[in-house]
Amino acid sequence: METIHSLLYGFQVALQPTHLIYCFFGVLIGTLVGVLPGLGPASAIAILLPATFKVTPVSSFIMLAGIYYGAMYGGSTTSILVNIPGEAASVVTCLDGYQMALKGRAGPALGIAAFGSFIAGTFAVIALTFVAPPLAGMALKFGPPEYFSMMIVGILLLTYLSSGSMIKALLTAGFGLIISGVGMDTIGGEYRFTYGIRMLLDGIGIVPTVMGLFGISEVLMNLETEIRRDILTNRVKNLLPTLKDWADSIWSIIRGTVLGFFLGIIPGGGAVIASFASYAIEKKVSKHPEEFGKGAIQGVAGPEAANNAAAGGAFIPLLTLGIPANPVVAVLLGSLIIHGLQPGPMLLSKAPDVFWGTIVSMYIGNGMLLVLNLPLIPLWIQVLKVPYYLLYPLIFLFCLVGSYSIENNVGDVVIMLIFGIVGYLMKKFRYEGAPLVLALVLGKMLETTLRQSLILSMGDFSIFVSRPISLGFLIVAALLLIIPVITQRKKLSTLEE
Amino acid sequence: MSRADRISGIVWLLFSVFISIDSYRMGLGTLHQPGPGFLFFWIAVTMAILSIVIFVRAWVGKNAEGPESSIFGKENVLKIIFVLLSLFLYAFFMETLGFIPVTLLLFIFLLRMIEKKRLGFTIFVSVVVTGASYLIFEIWLKSQLPKGLLEFLRF
Repeated sequence: METIHSLLYGFQVALQPTHLIYCFFGVLIGTLVGVLPGLGPASAIAILLPATFKVTPVSSFIMLAGIYYGAMYGGSTTSILVNIPGEAASVVTCLDGYQMALKGRAGPALGIAAFGSFIAGTFAVIALTFVAPPLAGMALKFGPPEYFSMMIVGILLLTYLSSGSMIKALLTAGFGLIISGVGMDTIGGEYRFTYGIRMLLDGIGIVPTVMGLFGISEVLMNLETEIRRDILTNRVKNLLPTLKDWADSIWSIIRGTVLGFFLGIIPGGGAVIASFASYAIEKKVSKHPEEFGKGAIQGVAGPEAANNAAAGGAFIPLLTLGIPANPVVAVLLGSLIIHGLQPGPMLLSKAPDVFWGTIVSMYIGNGMLLVLNLPLIPLWIQVLKVPYYLLYPLIFLFCLVGSYSIENNVGDVVIMLIFGIVGYLMKKFRYEGAPLVLALVLGKMLETTLRQSLILSMGDFSIFVSRPISLGFLIVAALLLIIPVITQRKKLSTLEE
Repeated sequence: MSRADRISGIVWLLFSVFISIDSYRMGLGTLHQPGPGFLFFWIAVTMAILSIVIFVRAWVGKNAEGPESSIFGKENVLKIIFVLLSLFLYAFFMETLGFIPVTLLLFIFLLRMIEKKRLGFTIFVSVVVTGASYLIFEIWLKSQLPKGLLEFLRF
């Protein structure tokens, strides 16, 4: 009953004309960002962050959240029509979406992606509404050891789920933890890893790092291999999926939604992993797995539902525990802090307007996206026609201005460019950027909770295993480290046989 | 990826050794009262071990993989270097010259020198983009971009 009351309060907040306008702009910009390759939601939120300094925290958060889940909708358009993912969570949609388009079924592909996204997005928000408040209550019982163990699980999970080598992912996570220590030590007050360089005194910001790793490096990769874009424009018709399309894809949407939601909640999970996992499951359960990669509608419906559900699910750890589940949410967390709000269990009681206003705005935003997405497809096609030689200087300009505007500091621009090079080299040497960012985001909190726990226990490490919740997290962490070793041994022994 | 892994393994190892020495110097503290270098020292030690694993694996698999391909595509490396150079120059001069001149110069450089577009087209696009971005960021979004040389205009 209390949830219903709070929900009604949320509607009161979200339906205010100003908030509706911010929500609309958020989802519109999000869709555009999703459509444009090379500019992801993390960079877009970071770029627009300074623009929200002068508005209320509710308006700001409603818009920035809208960019995030809006991008999940937009990403599918580019994947289906151009075979280039607009953002990372839509990579897998290319496989069957583009094949459908080649067969003249771009319309149903776009349609099922939009409807699947809507169903999943709405489910995630409903689940968020009912799961978040009790979880926030439970999180109040968490002490430093529980937070520490949970963050360890988050980082290990991301390294475990990373597509490449887990050792490489662990190395990048370690690198992220180390650079999170640059700047002033929050407990002792001394400077670390600054080497007399002024721009390092305030530490390495998440926003410039994300922009460099994902924005600049992506463009550099694209410059190396010229992008060819054959846009299918004359075949987009019959956007509404037929009854057969629905029958073929409804279970994929349901499976994708549930899977995506749970992967979204877990720190380290997120939309990219959810979409890949959903595709793998759909291929496995299908009676015709040979059709995957040749235009199976399930290969579009499942992953698109999964990435939207994951985007919604990721708000749960942010709003209840103050823990960002992925880099995009980390930037959102930064926006809350800039507005003087501390994300976590106290957010619900200290800023109920932000908490419930944002949740309800997501119901409204999902509706807006469904209405927006299909009729605006011709417009997005026009946007995609912008040649890359014009697009990439614009992306550079957005990143340069965005990183400068955070604190009107050239140092942030230089940090962004350096991480652009780091990201480019990491791509070349097959290292993933996501573990680095998550570790950078969680690093300070991880160190503080570790040191607080040890001070609490007088230096006794058993504090992490003597408390049941912390022990539970550490068991999961240990499993995440052991499973790859066992599976690799098995692989080796079968090879030897 | 064997060659790339051998190179990256060495780079990570050097980085880890450097960080572990630096963290040790900062002070590890005691278990009762961990010092500022405590966590980072142990992370660096773990990273050193992992980097050795990467290197050894790549070294062992060196001969099994056949001929090794180059890590960087040779054709466009110069293009990337010039683009990066222009971006760093943008950052270094944005406060002294101001947003408008550096943005104009960046676009002229990228379109004319890197993309080899016609001069008229280059100038047209550069002026339009610079003007539009100034209106969006400075006037609409109130981003407080650096004025630099044009400070006296105070617009």
